[in-house]
Amino acid sequence: MAKAFGIITSSVEHKVEGLQDYRPIGGFSFLGRYRVIDFPISNFSNSGIINLQVYISNKPRSLAAHIGTGRHYNINSKRGSIQLLFPTEEKLNPIYNTNIQAIWENMENVSRMPQEYVVIAPSCMVFKQDFDEFLQGHVASGADISVLYHKVHHAKSGYNTCHTLSIVDGMVEGISLNLGDEDERNISMETYVVKKDLLVKLVNEAREISSMYNLVDIFRAKSSELKVRAVEHTGFFAPITSLKSFYDANMELLDPAKAGDLVTPDWPIYTKTNDSCPTQFYDEAEIKNALVANGCEIHGTVLDSVIGRGVEIAEGAVVKGCYVSAYTKIGPNVKLENQVVDKYAEITHENVITASKDCPGYIKYRDKL
Amino acid sequence: MKQIEMLAMILAGGRGSRLLDLTNKVAKPAVSYGGKYRIVDFPLSNCANSGVDVVGVLTQYESVLLNSYVAKGGLWGLDTKDSGVFVLTPREKADSGLDVYRGTADAISQNIDFIDTYNPEYLLVLSGDHIYKMNYDKMLDFHKAQNAAATIAVMPVSIEEASRFGIMITDENDRITEFEEKPAHPRSTLASMGIYIFDWQKLRALLVKDMQDPDSEHDFGKTIIPQLLANGEKLVAFKFEGYWKDVGTIDSLWEANMDLLDNDCELNLDDPYWKIYTEDAVALPAYIGPDADIDRGYITQGTSINGTVKNSVIFTDSKVGNGAKIIDSVLMPNVTVGDGAVVTRALVADGVTISAGAVVGSADSEHITLLAKDV
Repeated sequence: MAKAFGIITSSVEHKVEGLQDYRPIGGFSFLGRYRVIDFPISNFSNSGIINLQVYISNKPRSLAAHIGTGRHYNINSKRGSIQLLFPTEEKLNPIYNTNIQAIWENMENVSRMPQEYVVIAPSCMVFKQDFDEFLQGHVASGADISVLYHKVHHAKSGYNTCHTLSIVDGMVEGISLNLGDEDERNISMETYVVKKDLLVKLVNEAREISSMYNLVDIFRAKSSELKVRAVEHTGFFAPITSLKSFYDANMELLDPAKAGDLVTPDWPIYTKTNDSCPTQFYDEAEIKNALVANGCEIHGTVLDSVIGRGVEIAEGAVVKGCYVSAYTKIGPNVKLENQVVDKYAEITHENVITASKDCPGYIKYRDKL
Repeated sequence: MKQIEMLAMILAGGRGSRLLDLTNKVAKPAVSYGGKYRIVDFPLSNCANSGVDVVGVLTQYESVLLNSYVAKGGLWGLDTKDSGVFVLTPREKADSGLDVYRGTADAISQNIDFIDTYNPEYLLVLSGDHIYKMNYDKMLDFHKAQNAAATIAVMPVSIEEASRFGIMITDENDRITEFEEKPAHPRSTLASMGIYIFDWQKLRALLVKDMQDPDSEHDFGKTIIPQLLANGEKLVAFKFEGYWKDVGTIDSLWEANMDLLDNDCELNLDDPYWKIYTEDAVALPAYIGPDADIDRGYITQGTSINGTVKNSVIFTDSKVGNGAKIIDSVLMPNVTVGDGAVVTRALVADGVTISAGAVVGSADSEHITLLAKDV
């Protein structure tokens, strides 16, 4: 049995314009056929950590339907488990919607886990990490908490709801919100290993201090008393914390070298199959630099874009630099540039909708244009 | 065991030797088709979609892969308490030695014990190597309405093709009056699709007798159907309209794949209410590179296209290199085509690597080129 169970937090502290109106970040479509939460769940599954608790704070429908029994994550159906945990108390004010509160409301479920350690990962960040290696390193180090971080070089222009770590000799000396004052920053990946008993203690203590505390706040408050070890992550890392970061992450993964590094045969990313047939590219279609999921019918032009399942793109339509979510219909001669199109949207009138790469547009779920 | 109304048995023991090297290592029902499927996905998905949820699959030839594949009943949703996919290979029994299946009817006869545990009213006999979508529940309604001993699904074929099939001669009420196996001079164009519904008790009695007959060929077409007719039983023809293919040869397997490129292909694998289920590939969506040129393609996830694809079907995890050209061809799963290679009118088998600059097939060949080895 693995020494740890896993917690996937609901990432309520991050706000993504548009997409998040309909589902939590973990439920966002990603790279055409995945959802963001497939990445942390697959990381756990591939690491042999097969008892998972997924915290869902609001709009649970899409995530609950997607995760279901968890069979598709290659988790042993007898010894493994994926438990979906929901808020049990009415929140009179969104300030109370914290990840500490979510754990506290389900504390019995945490306390009774037989594993000594817990690995905590956010539902909103896309990366590949062997959590078992992370756990073993933590146990060997003698630290109280280990936290993963990623060195970024452009923190001024993004990561604005993320936290940065100041690190001295591999230990965390300070945690603060990214204020965008420096480009070179160690961004916290909100991924921790901690003993279960310490987590329970810290959650209880946090509630004594403030009902608005998230995990990061109690770790920060206790960082002088506790040994908090920082572990650097390398490779692809994309926190989905704004529409721009969602868009950029998908566009970046059009580079086959980056996508091939994130999703490898020995580190598969599992998702729920939809049993859609292959995609049909017709005579008039023109496709360059695109990732195209199954079940699409492509008559038009697709350039530098990610196309989700079952999308129809009519003759004469031009889709350039877009993220097109599943079951969208794009009509004849429609021109779309640098847009994030949410599921089931139908753009059938002869529209020209463009935006800049720096500020991609968003077309609403089920919208008709 | 709960009694069920209709149990299905899929005959999947044949080699399909006219598929040449494609079936050296796998039986024909396990051959890949349509980008992401295996042929046996069609009868299994049809069963699941028709509410026929106990399915025996009779395997024999090179069946390791096929057996492990169909045993994953959950792929087709056939894994609830009362449903299941059962792999039935020849086995040694207390009162008889180990016999291979001596024919299609013998394969059923040797599994009477299995069928009896479910005590079905009707037995649906299917072939594991046909590509089509069919609602067997509608066929059962027809069988019941006709009060027949057996119902045979038929479809009209051209008179030239008719001598390749079992041909039914029917009266105005769809009752079969005569049956001719591969007639030289066909008198009808209604071809048997190898899909039968039998009254189980009537068939069972006949099979028990047939097993004892040393001269019998133990075959549905050659033995059982003529015997039922001779006994004066009521046999009726259920007319099927739609796409149906028995992909017996490399040319016909290629053609069946090419059919999917047609806008109006009758098979329509995109029907959300009659999906064909298969094993899901854990793979990225199809990647189409900046220099790719696609002109009619049926392409599935896990592929990477950096060259030209013209009028071709590209299966899971296949890769087309820079400047390579795939024309009027089928690349089965895990094929790697090196930079600048040209593949024309060819069917490339699973896992084959084509080196850079190689030339495979030709535009004016009489038959489709099968490439089953690296070049």
